[in-house]
Amino acid sequence: MVTQEFSVVGKRMPDVSGVEKVTGAAKFTSDIYLPGMLIGKVLHSPHAHARIVNIDTSKAERLPGVEAVVTCKDVPKKQYTGCLMNLQSYSGIEVWGVHDVRVLDEKVRYVGDAVAAVAAVNEKVAEEALELIDVEYEQLPAVFDEIEAMKEGAPRIHDVVQRRQDDGTPGDEAVERNIGVHVAHKPVGDVEKGFQEAGYIIEERAYTSKQRQAPLETFQCIASFNAEGKLTLWTQFQVPNLMKRMIAYVFDMPVGMVRAKGEYAGGGFGAGLHLFRVPLCIALAKKSGKPVKLIYSRREEFTDRPTRETFGPYTFKMGVKKDGTITAVDRKVVAMAGAYVEFSGLSSLIATSVGNTVYRRQNYKAEADVVYTNKLPSGAMRGFGNPGETFIREQVMDEAAEKIGMDALEFRLKNLCQLGDPGTFGPDFPLTSIALDECIKIGAEKIGWKEKHGKKKEGVRRKGVGVSCMAHNSGAWPVHVEHSSAHIKFNEDASIVLTVYPATIGTGAYTSLAQVAAEVLGLPFEDVHVVWGDTDVTLWETGSHASRTMYIIGSAVYEAATEAKGKLLNRAAKKLGVAADELDIKDRRIYVKANPGKGIAAAEITKEAIYSHYDVEQFTGSSSYRPSNSPPPYQAVFTEVEVDTETGEVKVLKMVVVSDSGRAINPMTVEGQMEGGAAQGMGYALWEEPVMDTTTGQVLTDDFDTYKIATTLDMPELDTVLVEQPDPTGPFGAKGVGEPGAVNQAASIANAIYDAVGVRIWELPITPEKVIKALKEKKGK
Amino acid sequence: MRKEIATFIVNGVSYEELIESNMTLLELLRNKLGFTGTKQGCAASGNCGACTVLVDGKPTLSCLTLAWTVRGRNILTIEGLAKGGILHPLQKAFINHGAIQCGYCTPGMVISSKALLDENPNPTKEEVKAALAGNLCRCTGYVKIVDAVLAAAKK
Repeated sequence: MVTQEFSVVGKRMPDVSGVEKVTGAAKFTSDIYLPGMLIGKVLHSPHAHARIVNIDTSKAERLPGVEAVVTCKDVPKKQYTGCLMNLQSYSGIEVWGVHDVRVLDEKVRYVGDAVAAVAAVNEKVAEEALELIDVEYEQLPAVFDEIEAMKEGAPRIHDVVQRRQDDGTPGDEAVERNIGVHVAHKPVGDVEKGFQEAGYIIEERAYTSKQRQAPLETFQCIASFNAEGKLTLWTQFQVPNLMKRMIAYVFDMPVGMVRAKGEYAGGGFGAGLHLFRVPLCIALAKKSGKPVKLIYSRREEFTDRPTRETFGPYTFKMGVKKDGTITAVDRKVVAMAGAYVEFSGLSSLIATSVGNTVYRRQNYKAEADVVYTNKLPSGAMRGFGNPGETFIREQVMDEAAEKIGMDALEFRLKNLCQLGDPGTFGPDFPLTSIALDECIKIGAEKIGWKEKHGKKKEGVRRKGVGVSCMAHNSGAWPVHVEHSSAHIKFNEDASIVLTVYPATIGTGAYTSLAQVAAEVLGLPFEDVHVVWGDTDVTLWETGSHASRTMYIIGSAVYEAATEAKGKLLNRAAKKLGVAADELDIKDRRIYVKANPGKGIAAAEITKEAIYSHYDVEQFTGSSSYRPSNSPPPYQAVFTEVEVDTETGEVKVLKMVVVSDSGRAINPMTVEGQMEGGAAQGMGYALWEEPVMDTTTGQVLTDDFDTYKIATTLDMPELDTVLVEQPDPTGPFGAKGVGEPGAVNQAASIANAIYDAVGVRIWELPITPEKVIKALKEKKGK
Repeated sequence: MRKEIATFIVNGVSYEELIESNMTLLELLRNKLGFTGTKQGCAASGNCGACTVLVDGKPTLSCLTLAWTVRGRNILTIEGLAKGGILHPLQKAFINHGAIQCGYCTPGMVISSKALLDENPNPTKEEVKAALAGNLCRCTGYVKIVDAVLAAAKK
């Protein structure tokens, strides 16, 4: 624990949006109504793979109340990608990116794919109009299995897509064997040699599931053109400026004619990183000449929103010496793109490297084939490849420990990375903080590792404990552009306006960023007024993803606040007749450090500067910031489970989450991220099972009764501990926080199951059926 | 589709509205009366609890309730909880305990919590969890929500 040296940072400040949200005053996109606004609905393909031979919209157009119907004839023909991370680059397309999406295409590639859209006076009329659209499909053979899709003679899902050329521009390329893109990391060392040196080689395959973000607020988007043709958008953005740029590209508009305004969003978890149906909403607004709100129902949200990345299989091969040294790791992944590559190239790269900062770098290579099938595309979800990698890696770690006869914790501690080791992006960006050993020790004690792990188990219901460790990133500099910003201005009463634009998906970012500003400026927390939600007002901002917000935007705020403070103190110095560096500010008062009795109220300086006759000034600070590293946040999760050997049911009795995210700017917020992440991680591990009819490709789990997310009754006893080792490169020592919470659960639970009943499950989610099957197979041996 | 005139009492105020016979209470509140605090989160199937309001003090899923059937009854939405700008102890506790992240489930969660405390002013942790089992939250993991309700109960 870190001693409390600060006034505001490190305090459990209540969220700045709390009163609005708890009184129902907070407006979400679903609550916004613009005058004259129409409601948009999408017509979805009933077929997994088909060519659209003809669309007759005449009946739909004649329905009273319908004001626009769009088909592929009414939208730009450009290929693009919904994966907006491609735009964190000058070129706009990355080596792992593929332009294979169109606003509306002449082909549909999964059940649920968009065929047409309608804008009408209300939702009921719009839905009625969808039924009146006559579509003639030429059904094509579909393929739902990645291995089958790569075989000779498999149905071709894409013929020509655009990939990044040597000059950085997108260029047409033919698709071979339904592989959307192949990604690989630069090998480190000599993997073959490493395996030769190993005493034991362990190779496993895992299959992960197509988890849904399932935010409580379904996708909604509002598009409105003003009289001059400027487009304003409202949706659950996470990266509004990247969205603007892609919209401008798709519609051939100047970027300056696109404005992204955000309201509160009912969750994100990565879903807001996807361009998704925003272009379709814009097309409806264009054609109708009116603002259009496109609404997705809960059923549409489950059957047509890009999901978490999925692997099938993820093959993990590790060599380990008898003394416990890991000598080599070889990762091969078949990534399930679904019908469009979208985020799958990037998530595959993350899934094959993010573990490299947990255990010391060994000989290593990794590659992935991102394969098309006629399934829902893979988008982005919290953890972004890390939950899948960790699920297999941490079970392999346990297996290796068992093979060499070492305690699972000792084995991990022996191989842990050290300060100064190469970071995620290589030796030029070394690790600047790591307290994972402390996390492991604390967690082990709290779960009762010594007493409970590795003991003989008896009875129908057996308990076991398991561990999982992970590392994530704090943004992805230097491989991505990580431009963030903050602007501060002093009001005449010495309160400030802080203008920033992280996502408004409920991460508590605004509160924590306000705490940073208040701390630097020596102001009480309530003197910080936060402004957000408009790309015409805020400076250019990447947004929220990759657990970047506190680490990167926090630093932008720190810099902007420092600049504003300097200007304020400069003016005060003249008034007080001292040098500026003799001054500091605390509790709204500027004072001489060596003689605190001498000072002046900050408000006197700010008011005098604004209302001066001759020397007007308003103190501002601005930062266009980029980081110089991406320090991994770390976490260890210890779980105690009870497995019923007759029913296969796995009950999580207790979970201890020990996190190293550097200094917690707001511990209440950080705990909330770990707790909420744990619920999603447990869902990934045990409860959330998306089901698709494998003959038709229809997604069957389309509401919360069939797709089960955690309720209050599912949550185990959850103990969250924050180990705060400040990172020297983060604002007040903070690192990334958003994603780590959802990464460790599946592996920790799987390892606990093994401890309880001696079987390993390599496929998610871990259902009772899988446990029973594994127990039967074990008995048979 | 039949249309009827009916009077609805929401947060102590009477509203006379012309409604279709198949209009749900949720649609009435959000679309007709502008009480957008109450949310829809599932397929209007009663699966998420975000639409929870109190009807004569009883927690009710407004997405599954026909508006016509609650004419003349006392309906409380989240907008009616704070009185004269003073937050209800539950609202204060939710804020102070970090029980709100995105805020979308919050109205339904607070209303369900109020129904619990009105009936059982001193619930155990298990009773709180059971009362809120029908309110889904995707953000918080429920830990701080339960903490907040227990803290409010003590007040």
